[in-house]
Amino acid sequence: MTPASTTIKVVVLADALLPRLAWEALLAPQPGLELWGTAANLDDLRALTLLKGQTAVLLDLKEPLQPHVAEITNALPDVGLLCLVDAYDLNQIVALLQAGAAGSLSRDATLPELIRALIAASRGEIVLPPELAARALTALARGEMPPQRSIEALTDREHEVLALLAKGRTNKDIAQSLFLSVRTVEAHLHNIYSKLDVASRTEAVLWAVQHGLDP
Amino acid sequence: MERVDKNEVQNPTQIAVLGTLAEFHRDPLPYDLTALVDLVAEINPDLLCLDISLAQWRQQDFSGLPPEYSEALLPLADQTDIVVVPIGGQSPMPKATAVGWRGLVIGWARQLLGWIWASAPGPDAINRGWRHDWGNALYSLIRSLAGSEVNHAYHAHIDQVAQAALKAAHNNPGSRILVVTNIQYCHHIRPQLQQAGLTETTYKNL
Repeated sequence: MTPASTTIKVVVLADALLPRLAWEALLAPQPGLELWGTAANLDDLRALTLLKGQTAVLLDLKEPLQPHVAEITNALPDVGLLCLVDAYDLNQIVALLQAGAAGSLSRDATLPELIRALIAASRGEIVLPPELAARALTALARGEMPPQRSIEALTDREHEVLALLAKGRTNKDIAQSLFLSVRTVEAHLHNIYSKLDVASRTEAVLWAVQHGLDP
Repeated sequence: MERVDKNEVQNPTQIAVLGTLAEFHRDPLPYDLTALVDLVAEINPDLLCLDISLAQWRQQDFSGLPPEYSEALLPLADQTDIVVVPIGGQSPMPKATAVGWRGLVIGWARQLLGWIWASAPGPDAINRGWRHDWGNALYSLIRSLAGSEVNHAYHAHIDQVAQAALKAAHNNPGSRILVVTNIQYCHHIRPQLQQAGLTETTYKNL
């Protein structure tokens, strides 16, 4: 058998020992994840030198989180940072995104929600609570100048995918909503980026928000 | 026409059918729910076509589903990249029952099915080989004894499931698709997929 998707690596950054042990026990048996290690601080995280490929770092730290996120983003720009937060707060979510985090997840989330969020973060997707996604993305887009170039027309399917992207949905969420495979969604996103002449998911989301696509 | 990734166009769409055992999975069989989860997690298909209706999926009401869906595959898909595609029809299959001697024979046939599945060392022995053939014969006998209404419903169900799986394949060129449905439907679904020109393979080769 030749599975299409590779296993993602997960590293947990938690400042206390017991939470690190608990994370090991919780995440190690999960399919599709490989718990690469736990770290107590940035030096430990750096010591996990094999952070390559699809890697998510779960931050289980005391707040404020932004300084940690900025520091880790500078040191390890290719990993997807997922921040555990006590409660969703729009200002904090936007600040974390601006600091370089892939997104935030409430400590009240379920295990499947956590795993889906880690998979999405590892792929560089934005992870947001659905109820705040639209406002967070609008806030993130504020102040950015919309590109004024003409674009190649999107197909109906690409419009559907982009509209869901603009709601802060992950690739898996988009795929499940449209009954498409994640790889098919990735192919549509590839085409969307090309047509919009944007380089990243974030730019595509900002384009969608600035051009009035739903959210 | 929508553009898709070149690699996906070059890779043929692959589809396989895996048979499951409904309430028999609760018995202490080698092919129990844990084995089923491990198997599908290892296959890791892009799409998991399940025999549930679109309405059930939208309502997220899985209480009446067989245990291989509600307790095994839906939780697995929920926390992986596997996308669930509901391919069942709106009308549930009527239960194959009868009165008198027909009802007695149906009961014996079900007992024999239970013995056949219990003696299988794993999913391979249920999805192919003599147990699979005997299972098909017994299910066919049960349907015949239950009357034409059940037979009509059976064939309508097969057509619905096969057509919906084909639609999923059409919408996802280059994908690896696993159709998981009750073992009694498999040998009628597979030929329909093959006739449509898809690369129908065994789940082990997906």
